[in-house]
Amino acid sequence: MRPDRNIGRTVALLGLLAISWLGLAGSVSSPYYLLLLALVPIWALLGVSWNVFSGYSGLISFGHAAFFGLGAYCVMIGLIRFQLTPWFGIPLAGVLGAVAGAAIGWPTFRLRGNYFALAMLAYPLMLAYLFGWLGYQELSVPLHREAALWFMQFADTRVYVLIAVVLLLVGLLVSLAIERSRFGLCLAAMKQNELAAEAAGIDTRMWKLRAMMLSGSIAAIAGGLYAVVVLVVTPGSVFGLVVSAQAMILVLFGGAGTLWGPLIGAAVLVPLGETLQAQLGSLLPGIQGVLYGCVVILVILAAPEGIYWKLLDRTRRSDDVRIALPVPLPPVARVAVATGPVLLDVAGLGKSFGGVAAVQDLSFSIRSQEILGIIGPNGAGKTTLFNMLCGVVVPTAGEIQFDGDNITGLPTNRVARVGIGRTFQVVRAFARMSVLENVVVGAFVHHPDDNDAWRAAADALEMVGLTPYARTLAGRLTNRELRLMELARALAGGPRLLLLDEPLAGLGANDAEELIAVLRRLPATGMTIAIIEHTMPAMLGLVDRFIVLDQGRLLAHGAPSEVMRSREVIEAYLGRNWEVVDAAA
Amino acid sequence: MSITRRNLTKLAAASTVVASSSARAQQPAEVVFGLISPLSGPWAKSGDLSRKGAEMAVADINKAGGIKALGGAKVRLAVGDCGDSPEKSKNAAQRLLADEPNLVGGAGAYVSSFTLAVTEVTERAGVPWFTLSYSDAITSRGFHYVYQTSPTADAQAKAALPTLLALAKAATGRDAKKLGIVMDNTASPVSFTKGLRAGGAEALGMQIVVDETFTPPLSDAGPVMQRVRAARPDVLLLLPTAVPDIKLTLEKMNEIGLGHGKLPAINNGGPMGSPDLLRVVGPDMLEGVMFITATWGLKGMEALTEEFRRRTGEPWITQDSLSNYAHMWILKAAVEAAGSTDREKVNAAIKVMDDPEIAKFFPGGRVKFDEQGHRVGASLVIAQWQNGVPVTVFPIDRAVAQPIWPGR
Repeated sequence: MRPDRNIGRTVALLGLLAISWLGLAGSVSSPYYLLLLALVPIWALLGVSWNVFSGYSGLISFGHAAFFGLGAYCVMIGLIRFQLTPWFGIPLAGVLGAVAGAAIGWPTFRLRGNYFALAMLAYPLMLAYLFGWLGYQELSVPLHREAALWFMQFADTRVYVLIAVVLLLVGLLVSLAIERSRFGLCLAAMKQNELAAEAAGIDTRMWKLRAMMLSGSIAAIAGGLYAVVVLVVTPGSVFGLVVSAQAMILVLFGGAGTLWGPLIGAAVLVPLGETLQAQLGSLLPGIQGVLYGCVVILVILAAPEGIYWKLLDRTRRSDDVRIALPVPLPPVARVAVATGPVLLDVAGLGKSFGGVAAVQDLSFSIRSQEILGIIGPNGAGKTTLFNMLCGVVVPTAGEIQFDGDNITGLPTNRVARVGIGRTFQVVRAFARMSVLENVVVGAFVHHPDDNDAWRAAADALEMVGLTPYARTLAGRLTNRELRLMELARALAGGPRLLLLDEPLAGLGANDAEELIAVLRRLPATGMTIAIIEHTMPAMLGLVDRFIVLDQGRLLAHGAPSEVMRSREVIEAYLGRNWEVVDAAA
Repeated sequence: MSITRRNLTKLAAASTVVASSSARAQQPAEVVFGLISPLSGPWAKSGDLSRKGAEMAVADINKAGGIKALGGAKVRLAVGDCGDSPEKSKNAAQRLLADEPNLVGGAGAYVSSFTLAVTEVTERAGVPWFTLSYSDAITSRGFHYVYQTSPTADAQAKAALPTLLALAKAATGRDAKKLGIVMDNTASPVSFTKGLRAGGAEALGMQIVVDETFTPPLSDAGPVMQRVRAARPDVLLLLPTAVPDIKLTLEKMNEIGLGHGKLPAINNGGPMGSPDLLRVVGPDMLEGVMFITATWGLKGMEALTEEFRRRTGEPWITQDSLSNYAHMWILKAAVEAAGSTDREKVNAAIKVMDDPEIAKFFPGGRVKFDEQGHRVGASLVIAQWQNGVPVTVFPIDRAVAQPIWPGR
């Protein structure tokens, strides 16, 4: 079921490309073109590194020069100070890059979005000054006339092309393995929505750290080889802003989040930049930079997500066949299930933001296999309550017991792992992933084995009736299908308690009915549901029990019929005047 | 046979078929010299000045009859842009070698790390290469084809203070005793002053009375320059490297009445004498400020300086232009001596060269290179801003103006 049917084809294509590149190098004798043929795969490797981290996870790094430069200096200092051959120096650079990735990532992941990107900018700047201060203003590879091979100093520069291509190939295979595995899907999920990923049970910080270490290692290897090929290293040339920007531009140009992006970017932009420099540099100094910039801007305008995705969209548009409309599940009446023992017990729960109490002294419980409706006017504290239940917000008072265990204040991904799944008010689809891939992200929590996870995902799709869409890109789904898909993602994790935040928002009556039909079947499978919803008629036919919140407090609770007649509830929702109308009716 | 119009016409008619091939066989069509220079990026101005110097040399060589040993073969200059990084420099060098298989030798690439990258390529290809860069690393790699015409950074740091003291003595008849240092913490001034602090100044009978180091950019030069005024040094090493900091410190010096040479202030490096600096800082602030460099417009080359101004429109000739002008003439002399464009033979000719004529483009020493490629006896020039023009004031025998120095 897992979509790796064409992995063999991809590897074969990569091999073919590598062989033709080497063939090209074999047929060229000019050292100038051989240098270019070696520099393209080196820059592509840096692109791959950036892609492994930023392309897949969506956390933009402006600071990959930090790893690249550390790798370059590691090889250089090893050579000059310790007579260490680059054959060992480059692998050592890889280890150093991973360590640096951990050291940089651990503190920096506290920041999000733009703040993360800006903080990353600081590391290479800092390192550039550090290496300058240490007296490494400019280092050059000592010429070894004897033992040249041992020191990677080849008279025939084709060998550099070979080494660069082999390392790039390794980088690409690592990248491919990531793309097709749990690792890549988790990163992709975080890229689209970190909170949703956490809610699906992904330990985002852990995965980010792994990605950063791997990425740092690859970048440092690229830097190490760069030092060997260019022979001169200065803080500006390896820690400079241009290096970080190069990594980013190559990937964004080619297409982020895909194996092919860095390859396309490097194969087009590096020779282009060099040709412009060669042809125009001495005629109209500076014009090469202007033209290079214009090309990048034009391509980004024409293909904002990169060339690869643009081409993919072109080819896919033609064969975009909607397989078949999913068969709407027949509406069923609520299958009567006797509710079991208390599953979730909330006691004295409270949350204040500064002086504002969003939730105060809230106590209630949910029984196993029950469907509990949570209603209340806007601002009543419903979403805050959900956020506390699933660990997004830490309560300031009270305690949450889940199946007898205290889960108060657990991080979101841990809460997901004990068996609480949730959906969001606004659908968080992973648009570039297929429906099945979207769902499998949710299945990873409870299935350490990947095959089990894919199977659970398929089952979850079956349950919501989206099986025919399994391979469609989520970006092409309608709102109703997206809601169903998000429900399937939550179900795939096999949660015992499912928290649904306005699952019917934005749906028409028919669509809503279909979703409700799905929900009605769930308690029979042993699941417990808490649902926030505004669409009253739909809720009346669905839930076993309501709790009503108003201004952060529990206003009423009980069976739907009781609650709907409660004066306080009507007042809270509609204001005092309606009381009279109601009485008259 | 006298050449008449009829003869010429006949000749032309008869020889159209054979002319080109036979003519080429008799004399080499051209001799190719290379120049790699940062023509784009932050060092573009210096790169451009380098190119102007080399171009003028090639024009002068050809005007004077080309390479006589090769039947008056003309010299052609092939120029490469090394941009703003060692990577681009290495690319430029490889490209130059690929495009110009007959390249005899060349010069460049201004910034020392670019020169390191370029010479890694030229050394392996056996191309004789000249540079004005100071870095010790360039000639400490055991290379056989690299020649450095400026004193190395180490040599400069050692020679600078004695040179300055010699000027002070010559100008005032007294020894300068008290030294002040104001600098930023970038690489060049740090390495330049390291030896002075570690006993170098005392060995010359000088005492460092004020020593101020700041991290650029400087927000206010007031406190620093006030401390200088309080300490009353005889000579001030004023070594900021960024133009805004140079401007701030000079403004403050003038404001507190130490400008216009009242306190002799001296910087290090050719960029301190660039026409661009004059435009940014202004002639009044620069008046009296001195700088140390490897060569500058010297006595005896007034005609060259004038010709350079006329041809390029630059206000004066700088170290960049002058050094590369000389480099091309050295290459020319080597080809003449070798009687060949074979790189090995040309390189061998450079190794035994000792040319007193070309040596005049430098303040001291000879155009003779030692084992490592250093120019023997390379020494320093001190130039001083006077009325908006930096003029050579030391060594005395090559000076074009008297120094402005208090107590004269």
